[in-house]
Amino acid sequence: MTSTDGAGAEPTGVAAVARRAAELLPEAGVITDHARLRTYECDGLTHYRVTPALVVIPEDAGQLAGIIAACAEHDVPYVARGSGTGLSGGALPHAEGVLVVTSRMRAIREVRREDQRAVVEPGVINLDVTRAATPHGYYYAPDPSSQQVCSIGGNLAENSGGAHCLKYGFTANHVLAADLVTPDGELVTLGGTAPDSPGYDLLGAVVGSEGTLGIATSVTVRLTRLPEEVRTVLVGFESTDQAGAATSAIIAAGVLPAAIEMMDALAIEAAEAAVHCNYPEGAGAVLVIELDGAADEVEQEYAEVERLCRDHGAFEQRLATDPADRALIWKGRKSAFAAVGRISPDYIVQDGVIPRTALPEVLHAIAELSASSGVRVANVFHAGDGNLHPLVLFDDAVEGAGEAAEQVSGAILDLCIQHGGSITGEHGVGVDKAAYMPRMYSDEDLDTMQLVRCAFDPRGISNPGKIFPTPRLCGEVPGRHKGPHPLQQAGLAEVF
Amino acid sequence: MEGRTDTPAYDGHLGETGSIVDLGLPAPGGAFDEHHPPDAALVGDCVHCGFCLPTCPTYVLWGEEMDSPRGRIYLMKEGLEGEPMNDAMVSHWDACLGCMSCVTACPSGVQYDTIIEQTRAQVERRHRRSAADRALRSLIFAIFPHPRRLRLLRGPLRGLQRTGLDRALRRTGLLERLAPQLAVMESLAPRLGKPMPLPEHIRATGERRAVVGMLTGCVQGAFFPGVNAATARVLQAEGCDIVVPAGQGCCGALSAHNGREEEAQRYARRLVDTFERADVDLLVVNAAGCGSTMKDYARLLADDPAYAERARALAEKVRDVAEVLDELGPVAERHPLEVSVAYHDACHLAHAQGVRAQPRRLLAGIPGLELREIAEPELCCGSAGIYNILNPEPARELGDRKAANIVATGAELLVTANPGCLMQVASAIDRSGHPMGMAHTVEVLDASIRGVPAESLREGTRPSA
Amino acid sequence: MPTATLTDAARRAVSDVCEVRDAEPLDGVDGVVPTLVARPTTTEGVAAVLRAAAGHGLTVVPRGRGTKLSWGRPPTSADVLLDLSGLDRLIDHAAGDLIVAAEAGMTLAELQQHVGGAGQRLCVDETVPGASVGGTLVANTSGPRRLVAGTMRDLLIGITVVRADGVVAKAGGRVVKNVAGYDLGKLMIGSFGTLAVVTEATFRLHPVPAARRWVTAPVEDARHAQRLAQEVIHSQCVPAAVEIDWPPVAGGVLTVLVEGRAEGVDARAATVRGLLGDFATETEDPPAGWSAYPWGSPEEGAERPTSLKLTFALSGLGAVLATARELDAEVPIAVSGSAGAGVAHAAIPAEAPVEGVSAAVERLRETCSRHGGSAVVLDAPAAVKAAVDPWGPVAALALMRRVKDQFDPDHRLSPGRFVGGI
Repeated sequence: MTSTDGAGAEPTGVAAVARRAAELLPEAGVITDHARLRTYECDGLTHYRVTPALVVIPEDAGQLAGIIAACAEHDVPYVARGSGTGLSGGALPHAEGVLVVTSRMRAIREVRREDQRAVVEPGVINLDVTRAATPHGYYYAPDPSSQQVCSIGGNLAENSGGAHCLKYGFTANHVLAADLVTPDGELVTLGGTAPDSPGYDLLGAVVGSEGTLGIATSVTVRLTRLPEEVRTVLVGFESTDQAGAATSAIIAAGVLPAAIEMMDALAIEAAEAAVHCNYPEGAGAVLVIELDGAADEVEQEYAEVERLCRDHGAFEQRLATDPADRALIWKGRKSAFAAVGRISPDYIVQDGVIPRTALPEVLHAIAELSASSGVRVANVFHAGDGNLHPLVLFDDAVEGAGEAAEQVSGAILDLCIQHGGSITGEHGVGVDKAAYMPRMYSDEDLDTMQLVRCAFDPRGISNPGKIFPTPRLCGEVPGRHKGPHPLQQAGLAEVF
Repeated sequence: MEGRTDTPAYDGHLGETGSIVDLGLPAPGGAFDEHHPPDAALVGDCVHCGFCLPTCPTYVLWGEEMDSPRGRIYLMKEGLEGEPMNDAMVSHWDACLGCMSCVTACPSGVQYDTIIEQTRAQVERRHRRSAADRALRSLIFAIFPHPRRLRLLRGPLRGLQRTGLDRALRRTGLLERLAPQLAVMESLAPRLGKPMPLPEHIRATGERRAVVGMLTGCVQGAFFPGVNAATARVLQAEGCDIVVPAGQGCCGALSAHNGREEEAQRYARRLVDTFERADVDLLVVNAAGCGSTMKDYARLLADDPAYAERARALAEKVRDVAEVLDELGPVAERHPLEVSVAYHDACHLAHAQGVRAQPRRLLAGIPGLELREIAEPELCCGSAGIYNILNPEPARELGDRKAANIVATGAELLVTANPGCLMQVASAIDRSGHPMGMAHTVEVLDASIRGVPAESLREGTRPSA
Repeated sequence: MPTATLTDAARRAVSDVCEVRDAEPLDGVDGVVPTLVARPTTTEGVAAVLRAAAGHGLTVVPRGRGTKLSWGRPPTSADVLLDLSGLDRLIDHAAGDLIVAAEAGMTLAELQQHVGGAGQRLCVDETVPGASVGGTLVANTSGPRRLVAGTMRDLLIGITVVRADGVVAKAGGRVVKNVAGYDLGKLMIGSFGTLAVVTEATFRLHPVPAARRWVTAPVEDARHAQRLAQEVIHSQCVPAAVEIDWPPVAGGVLTVLVEGRAEGVDARAATVRGLLGDFATETEDPPAGWSAYPWGSPEEGAERPTSLKLTFALSGLGAVLATARELDAEVPIAVSGSAGAGVAHAAIPAEAPVEGVSAAVERLRETCSRHGGSAVVLDAPAAVKAAVDPWGPVAALALMRRVKDQFDPDHRLSPGRFVGGI
């Protein structure tokens, strides 16, 4: 922590921000002691840990804006954190920066059924929005597996998806407006209750910007009508090939299920150990298929889905008979990541996307990678949209196991890129995949994206070091670079 | 769980972190010593997913990482890595209610209940609390685990209640200001009925299906003797020979849950001796907190070669009364009870012992009884043993929240299986201005078996306004 | 910076890299006639033109199929009209993955025809006949089906743009789920060609439903319209569209579209009929003017009507309709659009007096704003455009300017057409 320059001089850096925080926030909202600071040093991605210099937990937008303004004034980097469940290290603190935690800004301000809207603070838990809307016959559609704990603010930063985004879209499709504290410490409103606000869709750029363009202090979300009928069916197959083929057939038949999830044998084993979901025994793969909508439509679709699954070798199909049953089927899927902790001491969870038609090929390639490297890989994924979550298992206590797992993990991402997919479908780039961005995008692509960053954050203090491997110097003339980037020359960055 | 410093993408500012010492031995100079520190392997089971946060009462109240299970585990990890024990760390462990809602929520199977107890024991031995804190704890542990002393308190408390001075005292707020914790104890004191001692041997009605021992408990025995009486009657009616050994003493739950390891072990040894002599098939417990600790006796006495095996043998016989009744299956006729019931899961029954379905099945087996579920069922009521005495403010907030959720069900009767919960919730419901009847699960069964009208349940246990 | 005539060097720079011709009056952009028309046929060609323009400080206005050139404000300068109709190829249609990639100059109609062959559709209505894919994207036009599938914002998954400095950049990709990097695609949507030139776009497709039914019912007044709309919106019939047609002075019709499997559609249409009352009728064909804007397509050479886009919270429908009715006394206003999405359009005839139109715009804007939305004058006769603020108040304008400054520091792309004079 940069402290005072000399006796009687004004504090600078983080010390200055800490002082301002003490003026603005109640005592419990400013954390400076080491042991407590350390509890914030990582989010859901435990491979990276950095102890922040200061943690603040503001209670309202005014306090938050005041903190950011102080950061801007004293050129102190800051990182925002919601519930700390992110899987790409987006909330990884900066060692000389401030961690701004939104968990106390958790009021649901209003639920307006007639407009199909709700206004919530960023610390509100995703599932709590649905809980508030359910009595009105509505719910909040984006449902990441961590929805019982992840925050709306975090969802906004990552453009979170979830099992049901195949039919219902992502956070970006369900956020209509947000009050944002910009990296200058100013409060602006982006978007509006009604769609298509005139001007640039800045909200569209901010959603999914992983906290690099500002912090939302109020979010207006779209509420979706609870469907008349929901049918969830758990289908057992002998292999992922069969399950994948069934998936393609269902989509090709013009059916758009609310969700199609797949798990392979290893993932099933973990889930079973954790939550005793009772998945079909001996299955090489299961599909969790959910259909929802008007009762008559769902009935028709279900008949077709059942037939198609049978045609593609399903040996067991179990239709959920009541909400509790349905919840148990989903519990297996949604606990899969954490449950893997029971069958392996350590693991890396990946988040690659491939075109759905490439599923069988890529799954085979992953199996081969696993076999040749001796590293086990459990597969859980959104079969409907090709978003894979390979869980690369290893034991860190074994020499070299971590590196081997990293290699397999990276190779899987390369596979995704080769097939025209993406390095991240939901978890974000964060710290974790910044090194892979140049494999997916050219220098020009990254440079163009960073123009947006320069517009919002010319000082480079808003969650620096995330997403882009090489920061752009704002204010420099856009255009092709001849020769090495200035940062490369300074020895501060590399191009991969 | 190693940290990585080699990714240039992050500006080279990735800090250095440690991993838990491989051999499981705490780092020297750190918070813990080698006598049963929080188990490094168990601490390592946490994958930092955060599923525990929304179910943790203190996280729900305060929204900060340090007062969540994930954060508390992280502090344990820091301690094992060499971070010295300080007031800050201890305050967060102390703030934990020990409700184990996190254990239920955790997909990775982290045994938080074990590591928090190990941590608390270390804190008790190695940390110097403030004088006031030490005094209060001494007072509590001088009274609560001693049934005879608790019974002695009844007299003065009863006197206060009969004269109505207790209400007057509460209204002036004098007691609150002078000694907030004592005020809580007093406000929690329920309406005191006549004490009814139980005979040492009770014969089953009809065919004998089991021989069971019964724990009479401390607070339960002293303040809710009616529950013990009802327990005995129901077990008898369902074909159990009951043995109620005299001089049982305390099971040690409060001591174990608060890190007073040696004290807990002393109580446990005595109970092991007592019930071994009684030679029973099963040991029936009607207080959730007690049952949960007794099922853990094997670990509590694992270091004592003279008791380890015997403790394990006894622990395997322990059943909550709802468990045993559900296991045996009903034979005694149930008479109708036309009453709406809100069933509150005591944390040490639901989370610690996994007993949720059995009490519900038993209640559902009573004709005319309508069972209603309470919102936010996983959230602790704030009683948590002596938590509401040591931490009155969060306890009060949680109690009010639970009371609001219970009142919202519109039920006539609140049913729960732990004296602490009953007192805490009674006090909160009282404050809310929506009085309800309250009873233990087994009291409801007893009323149904004896054909006693529902009114007696509704009226008899209602706290006075 | 605007130049009255091009220097020879500048002209040569452009003609060296692309087929050019002198502009004619017909090439005018809302009355501003450019100097040169450049017609590249590839993304690289577009990049070359923009590089050349950058080298000589030339202003550039992109044109798709020219169907919305008079929308927004007239450009303050237009040295080069960048004609993108030559970028009209279908790049890829991966039917199994339900995606299509096309060049920006392709017409929406042609794209629909291509994907229609596989029983799929890009679920955005062609509200402006003959519009290009790129033009639809940068103007963010939408029609009745926005209720079920969203707009370009929800359908675009990948984009290629050329910056003002000639650099080609991509964002997104070929898969629906992709959160790698910023969503530049969304920034381009509705940007009116002022941030960069869109040359390619990739969209997610939907299967064409087997059956469809339109259920129509008259509405008595604004309140009745809102009540019916709310009933339908909160019902379980899962409408693909809920459209209000509100002519000037009197009358009004609510139409609900349900799509899906044949048997399902039957039942849902019956449900809707029940909600809409005794006078509801059902057809298998769209009503006249179904996905057209209320201002239609004016005759060649005729003066344009004033065309507005109105947005409002769903509960504000009644207020907006009532305001329009009140204003009818002075100035006839035809409103039609999505009562289910809160996005409607209004047309005021070209002959209406400027003061009346101006007052009407203000009143409508005030009503929409009070209900969480906005009123934008998309197009109008020149006199009206001069008298009103077409875009209205825009939040975060300062931040938008900063974004513009980063992408187009010299303000040479469609200068002056957009909000805040951007």
